[in-house]
Amino acid sequence: MGRTINVWSRLGVWALVSLIAVGTVFAGGGAEEPAEERDTLTIAIGAEPESLDPVNMTSAPAATVSEHVVERMIYMEEDGSLTPMIATSWEANADSTVWTFEIRQGVTFHDGEPLNAAAVKANLDRFIDPEVGAAYAFLLGTVVSIDAIGEHTLQLTLSQPFAPILAHLSHSFIGIVSPAQIEGLGPEDTFDIPIGTGPYRMTEWSRGERITLEVNEDFYGNVPAIPNVVFNFIPESSALLVALETGEADAIMRVPPQDIARLEDDPNLEVVFAESVRTIYIGFNNMREPFNDPLVRRALNHAIDKQAIVDGLFDGVFTVADAPIVPAVFGHASVGPYEYDPERARELLAEAGFPDGLSMTFHHPTGRYLLDATVAEAVQDMLGEVGVEVTLETREWSSYLDFTSQPPDQAEYDAFMLGWGTVTLDADYGLYALLHSRQWNPNGNNRGFYRNERVDALLDEARVETDRVRREELYAEAIQNIWDDSPWIYLYNQGQINANHVDVEGLIHHPLENLSAWDAFFSE
Amino acid sequence: MYQYIVRRLFLTIPVVLGVSIIVFSIIRMLPGDPARALAGVQATPEFIEQTRVRYGLDQPLHIQYGRFMAGLVTGDLGTSTFSRRPVTTEIAERFPRTLTLASISLLIATILGVSAGIVSATKRNSWFDNASMLVALVGVAAPVFWMALMLQLLFSVHLRWLPATGMGSVAHLILPSITLGMASAALMARITRSSMLDVLKQDFITTARSKGLAERIVVYKHALKNALIPVVTVLGLQFGILLGGAVLTETVFAWPGVGRLLVDAILRRDYPVVQGTVMLLAFLFVIINLTVDVIYAFLDPRIHYQGKEEG
Repeated sequence: MGRTINVWSRLGVWALVSLIAVGTVFAGGGAEEPAEERDTLTIAIGAEPESLDPVNMTSAPAATVSEHVVERMIYMEEDGSLTPMIATSWEANADSTVWTFEIRQGVTFHDGEPLNAAAVKANLDRFIDPEVGAAYAFLLGTVVSIDAIGEHTLQLTLSQPFAPILAHLSHSFIGIVSPAQIEGLGPEDTFDIPIGTGPYRMTEWSRGERITLEVNEDFYGNVPAIPNVVFNFIPESSALLVALETGEADAIMRVPPQDIARLEDDPNLEVVFAESVRTIYIGFNNMREPFNDPLVRRALNHAIDKQAIVDGLFDGVFTVADAPIVPAVFGHASVGPYEYDPERARELLAEAGFPDGLSMTFHHPTGRYLLDATVAEAVQDMLGEVGVEVTLETREWSSYLDFTSQPPDQAEYDAFMLGWGTVTLDADYGLYALLHSRQWNPNGNNRGFYRNERVDALLDEARVETDRVRREELYAEAIQNIWDDSPWIYLYNQGQINANHVDVEGLIHHPLENLSAWDAFFSE
Repeated sequence: MYQYIVRRLFLTIPVVLGVSIIVFSIIRMLPGDPARALAGVQATPEFIEQTRVRYGLDQPLHIQYGRFMAGLVTGDLGTSTFSRRPVTTEIAERFPRTLTLASISLLIATILGVSAGIVSATKRNSWFDNASMLVALVGVAAPVFWMALMLQLLFSVHLRWLPATGMGSVAHLILPSITLGMASAALMARITRSSMLDVLKQDFITTARSKGLAERIVVYKHALKNALIPVVTVLGLQFGILLGGAVLTETVFAWPGVGRLLVDAILRRDYPVVQGTVMLLAFLFVIINLTVDVIYAFLDPRIHYQGKEEG
């Protein structure tokens, strides 16, 4: 062949390729240098939203970002009260099947389109359209028609009275976007950047990296003090902490409990403990022996030292569950907790015919809830103390969901761990979905196949009862029954652990696990 | 030579077909369901059923596979079940970022690895040799995850020299590419060193030295050229590995490339994205391998591909 080969020139080709690659990326990107004046608040969140199109949203990160840009009919305050947002007032007819909403006047979407009843109707029609198939369309499952009866008057007709309808309308996913944006969209069509009426408008979504928001100067309410808000996606929790420590992020969500001390040691940082609406529980397969026996289920409730788990693993910042739903939820009644009493647990087990204990398999997720696998180990130890030999099994989340969603004859578990957020802050969403016998797998989320006809009747009645006091009574009775039947081991109410730089003030750590920046400002 | 390349190109077809069958089946064998992974515990039976129909998952497997292959041929990789955006768009946005990271890592790895290897070989058993081989050993053995966190703590938290996460400037590239390239650099240092030592024992080197050539010329002109042949092979393969192996690095440094896209897609049972990304990476790997073989033939005149390269 006789050619002289210059090895270095071959290597040079690689170098050149690399440089070209770098050039291509950065030519488009543009370096982002921190500005002298602080005009940007950066919030790092773990996961990227799947979509910000209301009909495609399913996750908490999507809700957190979306709330800054797209408004709902009604806003749920931190205390659970419902206040006007797009709808300024509402009233129901006598039997609460027809609801009339006045829509805010003089408001325009970020693209200049006017907000009116027709715009809201277009959005709600799309949300409940079975062709579109929104995952959360069930929130408005009782709505049979939506009519714009005036320029700014909207009427919803329900198939039957549905007490939590207003709470459902406040859900983050039922956002109202510009009618121009959804006009002409096919059932499967979607969009990337939502155009709403919120305090911020969305300017960019760099997939996998960040979402950029810019203040909406024309906002009808208080215009936010911070001109730009950026949401960065940092999947690794250790990197999330590093980003906060270096100042790359001003605030982060979901601090791992074991890192609280590390952040608290830094005088520039502040760890914020906020309430949430999530109850962590261990569901029994109530169809399976011996867990079809309430004595066994109650015994196991007495065997778990919930306070020790909360104190030992969560720094004492969570609370022991005293009901199947958290105290912030409307309809909550404090009936617990089951006292930690291993002696009593052994007695109950003996009474149920298991004087020598029993063995069981306990399935749990890993990494879905804060320290879930560690909690499972603690439960295993504690149950071991009363003679219940527990085999732990974990699965990756998607498999786990599938595994725990089987119909009764195919459900292959004794017990499983889950957390449920009652995001409407109304007991219906927590109790009906998880404990009504109509909601057995695969129809709903009653994964333990619990059935108590009295509870079913109470939950049914509370759904349609419009008198709040009467509803509270119904839920109180249902909760007492559920508590005594012990279809679950009631563990704890998982709170939120967020952190931010001390000079960031006014962040809202909403119990719905949203971090909101519209009232935030930089001190000093 | 051209016949060889054409023949090799045809041979890639069964490889790519094989990969397509494997990735198609494995992702479907995993328990879990795209709708449930998306909507979580709140997924209603209606939503699950509708999602299955929408993405054709209700069809028999051979029909699904047929559609997937037909789409592959026409460049349509389907729609993500997670974001509902075209898979080609998702990949097109992220691939340049992974390519950048892998290229820079390879560049760093090559410069560090080859120079350390040469010096180690020529100054065998010196303190430099021992030290660099020790570092190389650590470089190969250290878990990427640990390495990444240590670099972040040192350079971002304590020294505040470099950003720890994200992208946007050249500074953002430094820590991830060092992390990603470390193992490759170590491997290349060891291979360069041993290959160089081999070559330095050869007769033609002795001849060159006996002609009275300066040691520098012997090493860099005569020995290096031959010693680098195995290094080039490794370098090519490493590039493929870096492209596919950037997953951990991309996760720790929040670098939004295809590696992270793939892992997220697996966790979400986003079948179309998993299929598309794996096919792309497999195809690139095949092409890189082919390129390496061709370069190899250019570099080493002793290698003949059926004696046809004379044309």
